[in-house]
Amino acid sequence: MARRIIVVGANAAGVEAASAARKKDRSAEITLLTQEKIAGYSRCGLPFVIGGQIPDFKNLIVYPQAYFQMLKLNLKTETKVTAIDIKTKSVTCVDNTGSILTLPYDSLIIATGADAFMPPIKGREKSGIFSLRTIEDGERILQAVQNGAKSAVIMGAGLIGLETGAALIERGLKVTIVEMLPQILPQMLDADMAKLVQEHLQERGMVILTGKTVEEFLGEGKVTAIVAAGEKIEADMFISAFGVRANTKLAMDAGIPLGESRAIKTNSRMETEVKDVYAVGDCAEAPNLITHKSVCPQLGTIAVREGKVAGANAAGDYSQFTGVLASAVTRLFNIEAGVTGLTENSAARNRIEVVTGAITSKTKADYYPSAKPVRVKLVVEKESQRIIGGQVVGGEEVTQRINALSFAIQKQMTVRDLAKADTAYAPPLNETWDPLVLAAEMVLMRLR
Amino acid sequence: MVNVEGYEVPEGLYFSKDFEWVKIEGTKVRIGITDYAQKSLREIVYAELPSVGSEVKQNEPYGTVESVKAVSDLIAPLSGTIEEVNSEVSSKPELLNEDPFTKGWLLVVKPINLQAELSNLMDFNTAVEWHKTQAK
Repeated sequence: MARRIIVVGANAAGVEAASAARKKDRSAEITLLTQEKIAGYSRCGLPFVIGGQIPDFKNLIVYPQAYFQMLKLNLKTETKVTAIDIKTKSVTCVDNTGSILTLPYDSLIIATGADAFMPPIKGREKSGIFSLRTIEDGERILQAVQNGAKSAVIMGAGLIGLETGAALIERGLKVTIVEMLPQILPQMLDADMAKLVQEHLQERGMVILTGKTVEEFLGEGKVTAIVAAGEKIEADMFISAFGVRANTKLAMDAGIPLGESRAIKTNSRMETEVKDVYAVGDCAEAPNLITHKSVCPQLGTIAVREGKVAGANAAGDYSQFTGVLASAVTRLFNIEAGVTGLTENSAARNRIEVVTGAITSKTKADYYPSAKPVRVKLVVEKESQRIIGGQVVGGEEVTQRINALSFAIQKQMTVRDLAKADTAYAPPLNETWDPLVLAAEMVLMRLR
Repeated sequence: MVNVEGYEVPEGLYFSKDFEWVKIEGTKVRIGITDYAQKSLREIVYAELPSVGSEVKQNEPYGTVESVKAVSDLIAPLSGTIEEVNSEVSSKPELLNEDPFTKGWLLVVKPINLQAELSNLMDFNTAVEWHKTQAK
């Protein structure tokens, strides 16, 4: 009998898992279940539709209907899974007509993602607070803009908050960001690097209030203002970007254990504590390559890598997930920022002693017109002299420097090795000494 | 040739809902995959095709195409005997992406039940409408 594989969730992790399963097993019955109307689209692209760089939300669909049909993936949209029974190996779901279905599985892949998180703030039940997680969320925000919103308050200065803020400025709104912590991008960058990004955003008109906690939502039924650190801020729209939380209810109700990061616990094959049940993407945890602690970085890149591993294993193959450095990049107006591995801050939290080096250089030869500044920060473990983290902020060419540092960390390169790296140069393309090499030399001097 | 939501649909062909096209050439038919199919699979890196002389049957698989992330059966739009196979596609599967309607043809088949089976396929106008609903 054909192997039955059920995937709960049909975005980055879920579709990747189903595709990998199909590659291994050409006859398996593979079913994807999603609550959403649209499957297989890029959540990461949502802010760029709001900003107008991408013309339509439809453009975010990575996997058209034909893809599912050609791979014989049975996709059920608008179908909510209500329970997983690990004893009888079945899932129960309700489709858009209200029919209840019970589907048996041989392998189950949980890719339920994460939901926007709202802290217990007074007045949170009032209407008019937006978030940005799904295409429908994006359409609601764009609709509010088209209905004439002139100002927005965004709560949270993480990637989603800032990318959405930049998008709304592109649409002509006045944008205020309110962040509880003393810096923007607190999960991603150290304060010294975040400051460069913040200055650029402020130059573009973004009002950024750090170190301010949102205390209350004001308004009759509909929110018209917030109170942050005692100050009343009025706006036409309010967007919650406090972060996301792993969607683990289905797993927990089924008795599938969570791990220390409060996401679903997995082994190196992305299998949960329950045999034949896998968890991938924003709801699953995986080990950090440096600290070896379980983390849930909630990045699209990690989701697809985990999905590929789980899909292969669910179809009877053998595949391991190596773990995460949580490499990430963003572009906000004309500045790019990226990270891989640990920041100085996260190293300190993990009691790892480090030496850091940060230098500012140019993206082309110094004398070449249009050369843009780029700053590189290296985080090096003191005893082994291994590179354990890197951050890059600059006008261009950030992503591939982050990737180079990611390879270096994954191959456990020392800062001494990096200082000898054979990098490429031509005046319109790079400096003779790549900024990565200069930053490595700076760390070496501090290690003397 | 019209462009429906970014997918090309040429005139003068018949189309199956398994993303294949059929071109009638006298007593024979030439078949291949559509632009929508190749764009959905992305860069095709492998094509497994049957040999000359074997039979294909309408709505049944006759081969596979594989991209880095995906694998799909090729489903025959018509029944008949294979008279020619595009061996160039086996060595250069990227032809399916570059030129799915001409250089990327897959088989020439001598059909056995052409008139009856054609009624199961879409003509140009129907195919344009169908592509619109698919790309929604």
